[in-house]
Amino acid sequence: MTNILIILLGTSVLYVFAVSRIESYVKTLALQGVFLFLLVITDIHKINWLNLGFLMFETLLIKAVFIPVFLLRVIRKNEIGREVEPYISQFYSILIASGIFMFGFVAAFWAARTNAGIKPLYFGMSLVLIVASLFLIVNRKRIITHILCYMILENGIFLLSLSVANEMPMLVNIGVLLDLFVGIYLFVIFFNKIQEMYDGSHVDILTELRD
Amino acid sequence: MISLIFFAPVILAVIALALPKRIISRIALLAPPLIYIMAAFAEYLKIEWYILPDWLMPYFQFDSVGLFFFTVMTLVFASVSVYSLFYFKSHSFTLKQESIYIAEIQFFVVAMAGVILAAHLALMWVFVEATTLTSALLIYFEKKKSSLEASWKYIYICSVGIALAFVGIILLTIGSRSIDSLFFTDLYNKASQINPFWLKVSFAFIFVGLGTKIGIAPIHAWLPDAHSEAPSPVSALLSGTLLNSALLGLLRVQKIFISAHLEGFSDFLFLLTGFLSLMISAVYMLRIKNYKRMLAYSSIENMGILFIGIALGKYGVFALMLHVLAHSLSKTSLFLTSGNILYLHKSKKIEPVSGLLMSDSRTGWLWIVSMLAIIGMPPFPIFLSKFLIVKALWMEGLSWLAVPFFLFLVIVAFGMANAVFKMAFGEAPADKNLINKNGFAAYAPQMVLLFILFIVGINISPQIYSFLNSAANFLR
Repeated sequence: MTNILIILLGTSVLYVFAVSRIESYVKTLALQGVFLFLLVITDIHKINWLNLGFLMFETLLIKAVFIPVFLLRVIRKNEIGREVEPYISQFYSILIASGIFMFGFVAAFWAARTNAGIKPLYFGMSLVLIVASLFLIVNRKRIITHILCYMILENGIFLLSLSVANEMPMLVNIGVLLDLFVGIYLFVIFFNKIQEMYDGSHVDILTELRD
Repeated sequence: MISLIFFAPVILAVIALALPKRIISRIALLAPPLIYIMAAFAEYLKIEWYILPDWLMPYFQFDSVGLFFFTVMTLVFASVSVYSLFYFKSHSFTLKQESIYIAEIQFFVVAMAGVILAAHLALMWVFVEATTLTSALLIYFEKKKSSLEASWKYIYICSVGIALAFVGIILLTIGSRSIDSLFFTDLYNKASQINPFWLKVSFAFIFVGLGTKIGIAPIHAWLPDAHSEAPSPVSALLSGTLLNSALLGLLRVQKIFISAHLEGFSDFLFLLTGFLSLMISAVYMLRIKNYKRMLAYSSIENMGILFIGIALGKYGVFALMLHVLAHSLSKTSLFLTSGNILYLHKSKKIEPVSGLLMSDSRTGWLWIVSMLAIIGMPPFPIFLSKFLIVKALWMEGLSWLAVPFFLFLVIVAFGMANAVFKMAFGEAPADKNLINKNGFAAYAPQMVLLFILFIVGINISPQIYSFLNSAANFLR
């Protein structure tokens, strides 16, 4: 069951590589939140109830519902349809994505052979999410896509923490979630301001400051 | 005192936001630095007054290196708070705008205090990210197009960088499974139990993450933009305290390496990026056209010097602490003075500014003396810290590196001195009036900071020596 969920999580990243409608990205993000929630509850026997409750709140309410709904509203309000032409074309992007997946699986095989106590597929796929989101950030131009890819990066880090299965203290968990929450909120505030001031919202227009 | 450090500024900020009255905003601006000064003294005199809940106590600590960085932060914070009085007056802000600025400053400083005092690696990470979030709004405080671009680059680049640092922290938990704790004391005491492979991999991520925040080359892209576009007192806080607090985070991680006897790996990275930062700042300094960006590149240079200090281990660590103190105070003085110049000339470009000594002699002299302090002219302490770093290069058998070290320092000093003298001397533009009426808030903070530097530079008293040395002992 968990393996299927992780493969679905990986497939959702491939989907982001393949499509260019921004709304599809947000829906993928919500879906990732649901997959992460299901992963958390399938691991139920390994963590204490307080932590489990917190993780369920974080994945289902925040990652799967609240943030996607918030971002969807921003996108509809600003009437953003599609991603503008990326720096590297879609065909080559998908080739690179395949390479990233290959790297992820190699990492998973490697993790399985070490005695570090990591869950191999979790580990490999979390690296895929992290590397793929960094590639998407570099390759895509729209600022809203950057915000969405930051969320994919955060999901990758969340999966990595599940692969290690070491519990952080509750104080740290709350702090991390608060940072994420305020971070996304501020990203959107700045995004809205850039829309207002610059008459556009991709990074190529931010060229006022240079040496 | 820790509870006062965290709660007093936050409560005052909330009150200032809720009740925008002049007297309340002034109290909210000036009381927190006073509380911080008291806290630093109380800690120095070992007066313990913890009223944190028991379960929260283990998460915060006031060790010697923390006290040192906290003291430096407090000096900068106090100067910035006083200077802000002039900043308000010169910009004619409404009371509401002033209250927002004051509240944002308090949140920012509390987040930095959290980085300095956190006793848990992941909690420190939470506060580092909080410093990014709280300061991004301050950079955009004047709501200009250019400051919007700078804030976006800052918040996004730093957030992604710091997210990678969290990857490093998770990877460290794989290697430290037998310790099963991320409290710094556990990590130091049981460092030999950490798997060296995972420690090195995690360090690479933490180094990139916190290095982004410190603004070390080649991951410094946000720094010149944010430092130049923020209001001058905020630039002073960014350069004088934010970079230091992230640096302290890296020092704490370096301590794990030293405890595990693996510092050879991290020292190499520190040395490499340190020299790269010196080179990048030297290259840009020669073609610089904007005096606030010039100060930002000088920050990159000084962070590079600090990295070299870290890499030189026990020989460089005293110089490192002295340099942290001297750089923060000199750079704060420079950024605050740049605010006076900006007010007078309404331009950040070097080219239209001249004759500062004629148009506002106090600003002119502060500009020159602060520049002499930052490039390391005796008797200012940066002279001594750079000298000690060169000596440490010799002691470590890396004397050949002194050649590029001197070369880059001379280029940076030449670039800065060239611009500063051009701005200070000559004829003042005809349309500028003599404005020696700015009031004490526009000059006094810089004068006090330069006076402290002068005193430290001409004679490091036994108290100051032992204070610096106890911080330095952290890395020995």
